[in-house]
Parts: sequence; structure tokens; C-alpha cells
Amino acid sequence: MAPMLSLENVELYYDHVYALKGVSVALEAGETVALIGANGAGKSSILRAITGLNRIRKGAITFEGQRIDGLDPAAIVKLGIAMVPEGRRVFPLMSVRDNLMMGAFSRSDAAGVRASLDDVLHRFPRLKDRLRQAAGTMSGGEQQMLVIGRALMAKPRLLLLDEPSLGVAPKIVQDIARSIVAINRDEGVSVLLVEQNSRMALRISHRAYALSTGSIALSGLSADLVKDERVQRLYLGGEV
Amino acid sequence: MEQVIANGLYLGAQYALIALGLTLIFALMNVLNFAHGQMYVLGGFVVYEVYGLMKLPFVVALIAAAATLAVLGAVLERFLFRTVIRRSEREESTMLLAAGVAYFLDAAILLIFGEKQRGVRKIVNGVFMWDNLILPWDRILVAGLAIAFIVAFILMMQYTKPGRAMRAMAQDRTAAQLMGVPVAFYGLVGFALGAMLAGLVGGLLVTITGVNSGIGGPISIKAFMMVMIGGAGVVGGAIAGGFILGMLESVGLTVLHSYGDVTYLVIFIAMMIFLAIRPNGLMGKPWG
Repeated sequence: MAPMLSLENVELYYDHVYALKGVSVALEAGETVALIGANGAGKSSILRAITGLNRIRKGAITFEGQRIDGLDPAAIVKLGIAMVPEGRRVFPLMSVRDNLMMGAFSRSDAAGVRASLDDVLHRFPRLKDRLRQAAGTMSGGEQQMLVIGRALMAKPRLLLLDEPSLGVAPKIVQDIARSIVAINRDEGVSVLLVEQNSRMALRISHRAYALSTGSIALSGLSADLVKDERVQRLYLGGEV
Repeated sequence: MEQVIANGLYLGAQYALIALGLTLIFALMNVLNFAHGQMYVLGGFVVYEVYGLMKLPFVVALIAAAATLAVLGAVLERFLFRTVIRRSEREESTMLLAAGVAYFLDAAILLIFGEKQRGVRKIVNGVFMWDNLILPWDRILVAGLAIAFIVAFILMMQYTKPGRAMRAMAQDRTAAQLMGVPVAFYGLVGFALGAMLAGLVGGLLVTITGVNSGIGGPISIKAFMMVMIGGAGVVGGAIAGGFILGMLESVGLTVLHSYGDVTYLVIFIAMMIFLAIRPNGLMGKPWG
């Protein structure tokens, strides 16, 4: 069976500087796949290509059998791909509730949206007490939960997460990791996770790709990669 | 005293509505619409034509002014501003374009409507008198309508899906795009709405102060002052800025009366000092 999401030989440029040179990535339905690698290796560019924020120059991106490269971001959200952008990016002056409702912008089933809101508040109870608070006044960890909840409001089949642990207290990183595992396991949402915290990413993913300057350097089962000597040296900082 | 406050509120209501349109376009598109005053003038002339000359009901004329400006705003966005924003990285480009549009509209308005000061018959007659307070009913009606439009605008932004989408887009355009907001479409809607608000105020005020082809520039300057006082791109700031400027003008005209025509001189100096202390205005965010 064809994978749920596949990128084939994708090339992406910012002006004249390449960000991705011939990247191929596949993700099966139900999987959690991690993209690890140093800053600037091209991890976020892969997500920007999938969501349509940047146009690819060559290659193909296919989601559930349909070519999606060339579609605009709004159309891609409608197909069932939601993204949690890097740096959280809540709508700071809007209430938590309005932020969550924005996540459901592409949906028109009012009853379904209400059910999703209940689910999200059940998953992140801390948001429940703060529905009327301006999102920008919350802590980094709470904002991260909010943006994950906001993405879930779109009822996606594929969730893209860009550096969810960045700038979040270590204790909260654990909470976020647990949430990602739960979302994948309980709701069957496939997850593509970009992380600089490679240790966390390899622990919670099934498979992983390691990027280096715009191409895939290594890939395999996360459980194997953790033990791989090169991965330990290059991505896990050697200290095991 | 009551008279000064009443005049300030009357001015403030119309100013706030002008500032709202300007700040909406800035928030959504990052465009400083230098042609805002000219759009106001155009709204005034549409009402002059429809209500003054064609003798149709005032409501019809006001709707015609709103529709004309909404279409003009949409066309300007779709064919000029959108193209320039896509091709140019520099913010000055849209500022120059907006200034060009202002000059073009000035010339077009002069050509079509001539240079004469134009007024229309009163929409309601009579004067409201209470204690030492004297207010013509038409001013009360105009201020009331302006406030009603402001309230309607806020409710729309706060509680409807398009309003929420526009607020989201103003706060984080990329994130809004990722939520599925068609940002190009809402840019067009916002521009049309902003232009429409300018036209509505022009259409309201032609019934009181009249309109002439030369007042576009000064109206734009006042609009920019209000937005700077309140903080650019913030709805609350635009409203606060509008009422503050209205009140300052009303108080200044009374208090500084004996010194000649110095109200705006004093307001400008006060504003420069204020902006030196608070460059982002009352509620503005330090925009990137």
C-alpha cells in the first residue's frame, strides 16, 4: 500500500539558496516519524513544503494518493493536515477559546467542532480554566499546549509538529512528549515531528530521518537509530 | 463645559470611525493608506449626488457611498496593492503606492466633482436644548450613527468567523494561513471594509460640514494622528485615538479661542512630546 504521505526528491530554495536538495520521506498511516538534525539542516523546510507555505522547485508531495505540492495552505488544511508551527505562534491578543476556534476555521460542522473542543479541553485541562485569558499572557508550556490543541481542532489525520520542545521548561517537555504519544496512539493521528531535541524525538517516534544540509543522511527505526554510533556522535551529543 | 464635552464626543465618534478604517487596513495588509482622506471625500460626494441632487432618501445615499468605496477598495487591493506586495519586499513601496493613489483620487475627484464646496439639505431639523447645552439634532443623529457603526464593527470582529479570521491574520499572518484562512481573500475584504468606513464617515458628514475636493489630505493627516495616538493596528487604539483627538479639538477651540487659530499647533506639539515618550501610542505593539 502507498504511504499516507510521501515526499519524492523534493527540492526547495529560498531565493537562490537551497534548503532541500532531493529529499524523500515517507510516512505510513498511524506512524510517528521524527525528523532530526542540526539547525538549518532543512527539517522545518520539509514542513513548510508540506503545508504549502513554500513552493517546491522539483519533486512531488503526495498525501493519501493526491498530489498536494502547488496547493495553497488553506486547501492543504482542508485535506486533513494540521501544523503546529515553530515558536508556538499563538494569536497573542485573542482569548484561548478564540485561538482554539481558529484551529477549526476550515471546518463547517458546528457539532463536530464543539465535540473537538471538549476533547481538546479534556486532553489539556489547564486550558479549560483559561478560556477567556489572552493567549499571549500564558507561560511557554501552556502556549505550546494551546497550539497543539489548536491544531487538533482541525481534526487532522496528519499532525505536523515543528520544534514543540523549543524554549519550554524540561518538565513540560515530558508532558508534551506524553501528549504527542497519546494523540498518536489514542486518536490514530499520524505525526511528523521535527525536533532538535533528538533524544526525545527518537524516544517517542517509530521511525526517524536524520537530515544534514538539505538531504537525508540516515534513516531507520528510531529504536535502532538511538543505538547507532553515528547518531549518538552527531545528534545525541555523545553522552549516553 | 457640557457643550465642550458634547462637541468632543460628536467629533470623537466620527474621528474614531475614520481611524478604524485606517487601522484595519494597516493591521491586515501592513499598508499605510495615505488615500484614506480622499476615500472620505469620495463618500461625501456620492451622498451629495444621490441625496443632494437625485433627491433619493439619505439611507439609500449612504448605502451607495459605502458600496462605491467598498468596490474601490477591493479593486485597489486586487490590482494595485496585492501586486506590489507580492513583487516588492520593501514596505516603502506600498506607502508610495498609497500616496500615488491619494494624488490620483484628488485629481479624479476634482475633475469629476469640481472645486466647489458642496453641501446637502439637513437630514433632520431642529435643535436639542437642555440647560446650557445646545446640539442640533442632525449632529446627534450623525454621532449616533457613527457610534452604531463602530459598535457593529466591533461585534463583527469579535463574534463572527470572518472577524476572528481577520484578527488572527493581523496578529500572525503565517499562523492564520496554517489554520486555513485564505489570507489573500481576507486582505481584499479588509481593504474594502476599511475604504467603506472612510466613505461612510464622509457620507455622514457631508450633511453637516459639507465636502470639497481639497479636504482629503487634511482628513488623512488627522486619521494618522489618531492612529499614532492610540497605537497602530489596534482597534481599541483607533477608537481611543479618535475620541482623544475629538476631545482635544473641542477643548482647544474653546480654551485657546482668544489666541487665534492655534489649536492644532498645540495638538501637534503635544503629540510630538507624547510620541517621544510612548512611540507606540497608547495601546500599540512594537511592530516588527
